[in-house]
Amino acid sequence: MKKAIRNSLSCVRSVLFFMGVLLTCGVHAQFGIPGPGGPGAEPVAARQAAPIDLTGTWVSIVNEDWRWRMVTPEKADTSSIIMLNARGREVANQWDESMDGSCKAFGAAGLMRMPTRLRISWDDDNTMRLETDAGRQTRILNFMAPDDNGEIDRGAPSLQGYSLAQWKMPVSYRPGPNAEPPQTGSLEVVTTNLLPAWLRRNGVPYSAQTRLSEYFDRFAAPNGDEWLVVTSVVEDPVYLNRSFITSSHFKREADNANWNPKACNND
Amino acid sequence: MNMGKSACLFSLALIISGSPATFAQMNIMGYWNPIYHEDFEERIPGPALGDYLGLPINEAGRLRGQSWSPALLTLPEHQCKPHPSTYGFRGVGVLRIWEERDPATQELIKIHTYIAWQAQHREIWMDGREHPPEYARHTWQGFSTGHWEGDALVVHTTHLKAGWIRRNGLALSDQATLTDRFHRHGNIMTHVSIIEDPVYLSEPLIKTNGFELLENGSMDPYPCNTVVEVVRPEGEVPHYLPGENTYLEEFANDVGLPLEATMGGAETALPEFQEKLP
Repeated sequence: MKKAIRNSLSCVRSVLFFMGVLLTCGVHAQFGIPGPGGPGAEPVAARQAAPIDLTGTWVSIVNEDWRWRMVTPEKADTSSIIMLNARGREVANQWDESMDGSCKAFGAAGLMRMPTRLRISWDDDNTMRLETDAGRQTRILNFMAPDDNGEIDRGAPSLQGYSLAQWKMPVSYRPGPNAEPPQTGSLEVVTTNLLPAWLRRNGVPYSAQTRLSEYFDRFAAPNGDEWLVVTSVVEDPVYLNRSFITSSHFKREADNANWNPKACNND
Repeated sequence: MNMGKSACLFSLALIISGSPATFAQMNIMGYWNPIYHEDFEERIPGPALGDYLGLPINEAGRLRGQSWSPALLTLPEHQCKPHPSTYGFRGVGVLRIWEERDPATQELIKIHTYIAWQAQHREIWMDGREHPPEYARHTWQGFSTGHWEGDALVVHTTHLKAGWIRRNGLALSDQATLTDRFHRHGNIMTHVSIIEDPVYLSEPLIKTNGFELLENGSMDPYPCNTVVEVVRPEGEVPHYLPGENTYLEEFANDVGLPLEATMGGAETALPEFQEKLP
């Protein structure tokens, strides 16, 4: 009898242990902890853990919201930002044509909707650099985790803010000692610490309280073209009634030949 | 082997064999609300005549757009047409996605998508079957097969009826093919469509738009009945012959853009096209 009970307990322990392992794997897959090592393994640098290669030059293909992106919309034309609140419209109404070309149109929350080329590279193993030729802007995407106190040094508020990045692995990915990084996945970036700037070139505002969440997906089209799609969620409790959600697509270019930097006007 | 050991091994086997099905793929099933934060004017009120901005249409596509009359939609034969799958995901209406599995093996057979407006129902075969031969029937939704690339559902569609890529007469031929991608990020799903049409496009047309998860979604039926809206002589089909459409410049004039831009073409989507603008 005692032996039977011992065997049963042993079985339950085995099953619970195995379920625990599976659940742990599932959680890691869900939250995209980078690297193949799995629990207890040495942390892997973001560059090494990358499930997709975002580096290179990409050109925006503007076939959506063309009238509000390729040209400066007329003063007070806020019709394409349907969640702009009354306070936001009031601020937008203060814009005039002399302000056209301002660098405020190239802040992080509006930058990826501008007609531009992107140049993406690694500064170091845990820092990605994203440059635009339109407005000559540079975004730094930081993969470093907070320090032991849970703090992040975000520096002073800026036009591009502070961006915290992490890879999102496919839910089917199982980290483990012999696992290779998956060949698919996406990049999630959260940007805060922003200076007030514009969602549109005609002064449609976002505030310093804005939080920008972005998801970068890369894939190949049937004809071999490589595409980068950036889904952006702009949350601004000051000027927006709800999140402003867009997706912008960029086609990979073979080289840097069409890179054409144009500065914006610092006010 | 005693019963206890057998039961234990069976439990472990169940967990092991069951785990891939549990964690294998992203779940995109459910109700999804379309997000109209992009191209709102095109997708809700509807596009203006002659607005082809940024679209990679060729000369044949442009000519079809210029000869199209909105009055065509008053004909009974055109009143209950659903959007083709090349356009439906940008149109109005809640999207529902559900899966169909073999009850015995639990293998995924197909994924269904349904958009309420004009009852757009797609079947996406996930069982690895081939597309039918070219002579098979062409439909509004076409024949679709799908597979997973990581967390993204990728769908390839052929056998489409001649349709449209924009609701202002820009045509799609029955030789067109569509590649859809569904990328879920939390409660947001980004839908990518890539249309290839050797007849009316000079290069693939890519569009991206979003959906938000509806926790408690529902859907009403969409019955459609035709009526005679305008009495016309039998056989009359509203249209414009080349050069006779006097409305094509209205949009360009209203928004202060040159006709060279509003008439579209692949070059109008590139950043450097801004240098050609006044």
